[in-house]
Amino acid sequence: MVKILLKFGSNDKYRRNLRAMKGNATVVKKNETMSLSFEKMADATVKGDEKECVSLAQKTMTMGADPFEAIQKGFALGMRIIGGKFAKLECFLPEVLLAADAMNAAVEVLKPHLIQRTDGGSFGSVIIGTIHGDVHDLGKNIVKVMLEASGFTLYDLGNDVSVHRFIEKADEVGADIIAASALMTTTMAHMPDIDRMLKELGTRDKYLVMLGGAPVIAEWAREIGADGYGEDAAEAVENAKELMRKKKGADVS
Amino acid sequence: MIGFWDILDRSENSSLIKEKQFDQQLGRVAKQLVEKYEIKYDPKQVVPADDNLADRVYQAGLDLFLKIGVFCRDTGRVMKFTREEVEWALRYAPTTVTYGQGRDAATMSYRSVEDMKPPFCLMTPVGTPVAEERFVPMVQSYVQEPLAQTFSSAFSQTVHGRPIKSGTPQEVEAAIWNVIKLREAARAAGRPHIGIHNLISNAERTDAMLAAMQAEFGAQPNDGLCIAAIAELKIDYERLKKVVFLRHSGHNKYGLYGPLMGGYAGGPEATAIVHVAHHFLGLLVFEVQWHCGFPLHIHYGCNTTRELLWLISITAQALSRHTHLLITANTFAAAGPCTEMVAYEIICNALTTTVSGADIDLAAVARNRHPERASGMEARMGAEAGHLAARQRITREQANEMVKQILIQYEHKFGDPPLGKRFDECYDLDTIQPTQEYLDLYEQIKEKLTKFELDYSLLL
Repeated sequence: MVKILLKFGSNDKYRRNLRAMKGNATVVKKNETMSLSFEKMADATVKGDEKECVSLAQKTMTMGADPFEAIQKGFALGMRIIGGKFAKLECFLPEVLLAADAMNAAVEVLKPHLIQRTDGGSFGSVIIGTIHGDVHDLGKNIVKVMLEASGFTLYDLGNDVSVHRFIEKADEVGADIIAASALMTTTMAHMPDIDRMLKELGTRDKYLVMLGGAPVIAEWAREIGADGYGEDAAEAVENAKELMRKKKGADVS
Repeated sequence: MIGFWDILDRSENSSLIKEKQFDQQLGRVAKQLVEKYEIKYDPKQVVPADDNLADRVYQAGLDLFLKIGVFCRDTGRVMKFTREEVEWALRYAPTTVTYGQGRDAATMSYRSVEDMKPPFCLMTPVGTPVAEERFVPMVQSYVQEPLAQTFSSAFSQTVHGRPIKSGTPQEVEAAIWNVIKLREAARAAGRPHIGIHNLISNAERTDAMLAAMQAEFGAQPNDGLCIAAIAELKIDYERLKKVVFLRHSGHNKYGLYGPLMGGYAGGPEATAIVHVAHHFLGLLVFEVQWHCGFPLHIHYGCNTTRELLWLISITAQALSRHTHLLITANTFAAAGPCTEMVAYEIICNALTTTVSGADIDLAAVARNRHPERASGMEARMGAEAGHLAARQRITREQANEMVKQILIQYEHKFGDPPLGKRFDECYDLDTIQPTQEYLDLYEQIKEKLTKFELDYSLLL
């Protein structure tokens, strides 16, 4: 029997991040001679190396390792690292998007093996889009990528999305969160309709509503009935997690 | 020569590309060009005086435009242009644009790097949300500024007590109301025929904008509209519909470009060349007479950081040295009214912009997102700094030293900039004049800036 070590490299930053993720697990499988580490997964994700991410995901399955752990402690960790770098502008959006593509490619490989998990492997599902009349979607796209990296399942409706379309999709997939973004003061006036329409339909309690975007401030979001708000992508993710904690009554960090 | 209908043909017949692929290509090519032309941001040279660097940024911006083209969202096609087409358009680009009538008429004209001619000053609260009853007073606080040569709009949160929803009949009503009220503010300021550079800032849809642009509502023949790129080098048919209308109506038009530093293009160097490329988009696709840039920091939502000031300076120099385009920079400050930080931010931006060969558009403050946080005083401080830069014949080297000293006063506060005061807290609503507190603050700022060699006596 050969140990397949999910081991740490020499890089201190990775060590700290990995420790934070409680990732010092060891996976053991018979008749294998190769080692596989969360660090490699995170590193390949940070580099946006899609080919390497897919290869590591395939190896994860070949070795019978836990795909959920591989995502959370490997690929998603890489996304969080690059998200942290982006927050400090040590890297820029193209690198974040490349990393997201690489992680998503790995998740595609692992996804079929995740289905059997009873918890589904997701922190929650989010319907996301830019509000009616607004064609600006860069901010929404960043939030989407960061939520996905944090383990949420995303349904992206794109831009110029009517309020009833948000609700229709949420009903269809049984979403947890409806997240809407606006860049223009002229379009944010549609946002209060989300809360209002959900109440009219008697389904307000089914969903958490999150708002964000350049002209949207926390105070106003609260006033119009939102449950959560994101000043930026990082805050949106933290608040989404917090909302899900409260909803599920469980720790999803 | 390339005409508007050729552009439309290209939007319908050129190569298909997925939007995501276009975004990725933009970032990749911009990065390659940054390396090829050895463009490097230097935090010590906030206002660079390196002509060769400006020339390289221009060439990189042109190369980027020719390689990447313009993505049309409605057709999913990328329109490409030849070097000859760009050069032809640049040769025949307008050298002046006039706003307003009679004694209120003002003409914007080309400015060179370190031009001694004072900058053209556009003043506007840049669509800051405001209560309906304070819309006219807030706008008036800008129009009445003596250095204002055109003005534009705040964003009334309601019209006739109803919120404005894009795409609804209320949006058409609001757009018409906006034009009527802007002209009312001009009359209240004693400048009835001053030009309005952007008549409608409370409507997204083209139908609402066009419905409001009527003489009976107060629109003058040479008032205008902006046409904004959606994001980095992207357009759609809504924008092209405005172009068609403005071709017939004869109103002035300008291009509006706000690339995000840290966004699709990448860092300050790559975003600079994308910003230069936007000016070619505006000229060829929107057929605009002048160009307004508001590159923003992706996290801070302002353009008064060190990197953004560098970006504004180098792109203005690049365009001013190689074209006679009419270019402006729209200041976006992080702090709110009646704070030291907002004064420093705006003055830094105005000094940088003016010595780099551009005109100034003043000013969005409090990151342009907090209701009631904007006033004419911020525009005054920027315009006076811009005039001083020209009158005092400040060079780029001198501006660089001044700006760096001013930056030290505020750049540590971007994480949590002060929100400042509401319009009704820093202006007397009966007289529409700044409070003594705000006037005193400005005097203190001027006193401090005198130590940095800014000679305010030249304004007397």
